[in-house]
Amino acid sequence: MAASNLKQYIIVYLNSKKYGINIKYIDSIIFMQKITRVPGAQDYFMGVINLRGEVVPVMSLKKRLGLPDEEYGSKARIIIIRPEPQAACVGLVVDQVKEVITLEADSIEKMSYDESDEKAQFNAGIGKVEDDLIDLLNISAITRT
Amino acid sequence: MDVSQYLDIFIDETKEHLQNLNEHLLVLEREPENESTINEIFRAAHSLKGMSATMGFTRMQRLTHDMENVLSEIRNGKMKVSSDLVDILFKGLDALEAYLANIQATSSEGEEDNEEIINALNNILKGKKAETATPAEAVKAEATKVEATKVEATKVAGRKENVQQAEAAGDSSKMKFKTIRLEEHEKKAIVKAGMMDLNVIGVTIYLVETCMLKGARAFMINRAIEEHGEIIKLFPSAQDLEDEKYDFDYSAFIITKESPEVIVDAIMKVSEVKEAVADYIKLSDDDIASNTEAIKKEEATAQIKLFTDTGNAKQGQAAAQKTTAKQLTNRSVRVDIDKLDVLMNLVSELIIAKNGLVSRSSEILELQDAAFREHIEYLERVTTNIHEAVMKTRMVPIESVVNRFPRMIRDLSKQLNKEMELYMTGEDTELDRTVIDEIGDPLMHLLRNAADHGLEPSEERKRLGKNPVGSIYLNAYQDGNSVVIEVKDDGGGINIEKIKKVAIQRGVITEEQAQRMEDKDVIDILFRPSFSTSDKVTEVSGRGVGLDVVKTKIESLGGEIEARSKMGEGSSFIIRLPLTLAIIQSLMVVIGGEKYALPLGNIQSIEEIGKDEIKTIQGKEVINLRGNVIPIIRLGNILECASGEQPKDLLIIIVKKGSRLAGMVVDELIGQLEIVYKSIGKYIKGHKIISGATILGNGEIALILDVNSLV
Repeated sequence: MAASNLKQYIIVYLNSKKYGINIKYIDSIIFMQKITRVPGAQDYFMGVINLRGEVVPVMSLKKRLGLPDEEYGSKARIIIIRPEPQAACVGLVVDQVKEVITLEADSIEKMSYDESDEKAQFNAGIGKVEDDLIDLLNISAITRT
Repeated sequence: MDVSQYLDIFIDETKEHLQNLNEHLLVLEREPENESTINEIFRAAHSLKGMSATMGFTRMQRLTHDMENVLSEIRNGKMKVSSDLVDILFKGLDALEAYLANIQATSSEGEEDNEEIINALNNILKGKKAETATPAEAVKAEATKVEATKVEATKVAGRKENVQQAEAAGDSSKMKFKTIRLEEHEKKAIVKAGMMDLNVIGVTIYLVETCMLKGARAFMINRAIEEHGEIIKLFPSAQDLEDEKYDFDYSAFIITKESPEVIVDAIMKVSEVKEAVADYIKLSDDDIASNTEAIKKEEATAQIKLFTDTGNAKQGQAAAQKTTAKQLTNRSVRVDIDKLDVLMNLVSELIIAKNGLVSRSSEILELQDAAFREHIEYLERVTTNIHEAVMKTRMVPIESVVNRFPRMIRDLSKQLNKEMELYMTGEDTELDRTVIDEIGDPLMHLLRNAADHGLEPSEERKRLGKNPVGSIYLNAYQDGNSVVIEVKDDGGGINIEKIKKVAIQRGVITEEQAQRMEDKDVIDILFRPSFSTSDKVTEVSGRGVGLDVVKTKIESLGGEIEARSKMGEGSSFIIRLPLTLAIIQSLMVVIGGEKYALPLGNIQSIEEIGKDEIKTIQGKEVINLRGNVIPIIRLGNILECASGEQPKDLLIIIVKKGSRLAGMVVDELIGQLEIVYKSIGKYIKGHKIISGATILGNGEIALILDVNSLV
C-alpha cells in the first residue's frame, strides 16, 4: 500500500470525546505549565508560555471549539502546533493525549456543512476506526485567529 | 579578466564617490570660484571613470568621461559655473546612480545610454568652444593624439624652448617629461605654485613590459601620486592612459610639497612599476616673468581671489587630513547583518541565562556568600558589556540616510520656486541598522512637508519681514536611551483654527470638543489616518499628507513622533527612537499579583501619594504633583486584574510622552531589570498596551507594557 494513502493522527480527549489532530502539524507535546494571562486577548486564549526560551501563545481547545470549558486536570497537555513549516508556534490545551492512529485515506469521510457555521469549519472530516468515529480537526482553521 | 570579485568594492566606492560629487556640486553652485571643490569634483569623477572602465561598464564610463570633459574645462578656468550647468551635472549623477542601482541588482549596467545628458554635456562644450579660447587650445582638447606625434617631433627643440634642465643628471635621457611642451595655463599654474612655495615635479614612469592591465595600473599610480600632491598634466593624456594607448612609460607633472624622491618612492610602491625618475621643473625666465605679471594682474583685479586661494590651501590640508582619517576607518570587516542578528539573539539568551542564575542564587541559602555574589556581579557586568558591544556593531551613523537631503532640498527649492536652505546637525548620531533602513522615508516626508507647506513663498516672507530664504533644520542627537531627530522650519507654523474648522466639518470632532481642545491635541488630529486621506483637508490645512503613515512607521520602530508649532514662527516635528529594539532596561512592577515590565525610558519618577490627594475632575482622576496636574491611570482596571484591597498610599509611576505626563498606579515595585524583548506573536490580539513579553530569570513570562499608548 502506498504510504501517501496513510495519515497519522494523534487522538486527544476533550470532555471525554475523541478528536484527531494530523501529526504533521505537531511540533511537540508538553506538560501543562504556568500560563501567563494576556489582558485583552481573545477569550479562548489562555495566555502565553515559555517554550525553550520562546514566548508561545496557548489557547484552550475546548473554548476554541465552543465546548463547555471545564477545568483541565492533571492529565492535561499542551500540544505545540506549527500550522505551516515557517510559521510561529501556538499551543492547544487538551484534557488528555491518548494515542497515535494511522488512517487510510478511504477511511476518512468528508462532512458537508453549512459554510456560515463558524464552528463547523473546524472539522476536517470524520475518521472511522473500527466502530469508533473520530472528529478530525481542521488545524489551519483553528489557528486562523 | 574576471572582475566580478571586485564588484562589491566597486559598488561601495562608487556610492562614496557619487555622494562626494553630490555634496561638492552643491558647494560649487554656491561658490563657483572654489578651486579645491572643483579639484575634488574632478578627482571623484575621474576615479569613477577609471573604476567603471576597469569593471567594463562602458556606458557609465562614457557618461563620466563626458562629465569629466566639462569639469576639466571648469577646472582650467575656461568655463564658468552656472546653475544650468550644475543642473545637467546633477542629472548626470542621477543617471550614474541609476546605472549603479542596475549594477547592484543585476551586475550589469543596463541598456540606457542617457544620450540626452551626454548631448547636453557636449553642447556645453561646443558652445563654449565657439565663443572662447584660441584655436590652438581647441585643437589640443580634441586631438591629444596629434599632439603626441608633434611632441615626438619637437623633442630636441622643446628641450631648449620650454623646459630647462635643473640638474645635469646621468639618467636625464630617461626623464622624458623634460621634453614635453607645456600649455600656457599649465605654465601659469607652475609659476603660481612657485609663488606659494610648492614644488613642481616632473616624473616619468616605466612599467614592466609584462604588465597586463596598463590602464588600471596607471590609474593606481596616479592615485598614489595624488596622495602627495596634485597632478596638473599627464602625458599621454589621462584618457589615453586609461585606454592603454601608450607603450610602457608615461610622464606626469605634479604640484606638491614633497621632494622628487618621495614621489618616486610612492610610485615604486605600486607593483609592476619598473622604474620612475623625477626631478624639479624649472621654467625659463621669460615664462616666469610673463606669467608672474599675469598672475599679479589677476590678483589686482580680483583681490578676493588671493583670499580664496589661501582658504583653499587650508581646505586642501583639511582634505588631506580627511583622507588619512578615512584610511583609519577603513580598517573594518564587512559582516552580514544576519550574522549580527544571530549574535544578538545569542546575547539575549545569555542575558536570560544570567538573569536565571541571579534569581536562583537569591533563593538558595548556600549560595548567599560574598564570593559567589562577586562572581555573579562580574558576570552581570560582562553580559551588559557584551550586549553594548554587539549593539554598537549594529550601529550606523545617521549620515548614510540624511546625506541625500541637501540635494533633495535644492531640487525642491527649484521645483517649488521657493528659496530655502537646509541646516543639518548631528549627522554622526548612530542608530541601529534596522532603524536606519526604515527611517529615510519618514524623514524625507517631513522635509518635503516643511519645504512645501511649512515655508511661505519668498514674497510673503519678505512682506512679513522674514529672511526671504527659508530655513529648514534637521537636527539629530542622542538623549539618554533614545535618539531624537528633529525636523524644523521657520515658516508660518500650523494653523490651529483651520484644522479645527476642517475637523469639525469632517465630523472628526464636535464643536464643543474643539473649544475645549488644547492646541497640542488639535495638532495630533493631523496624525489621524482619516484626516490625511482627504485632499480637501490637505489643501486647507496644508499638512497631513501621509503624516499618519509617518507616525505608523515611527511607532513600528518603537519610536514616537510629536509636532510643535508656533503661529508665524514655524513648526517642528520631533521623532524619538529607541537606540535598540531587542534589549531594554525596565522597571519590574506587580499589578494585581501579576508581574509586568515598564520600559525605563519613559519613566520620569516614582511617587508615593496618599489616597486623599487624588481629585476627580470631569470624571477623571488627577493628582497635583508639584504644581503639575497629572491624570491618573489605574493599570489594574485596564489590565483587568483584580487589584486587591487599596492601600492608604498609592504607588504612582510618572511617565512622560513628549511633553505630556501621566501617572500609572501599580501595586508593588520589584526593581530594575535588563529584559529581552520577545514578540507575543500574531495569534493573540491583546490589549494595545501590551507591546511584547519577556522571559524572567525563573522562566516565568512577564508582559511588557507600552504605557505610551495610554498617555
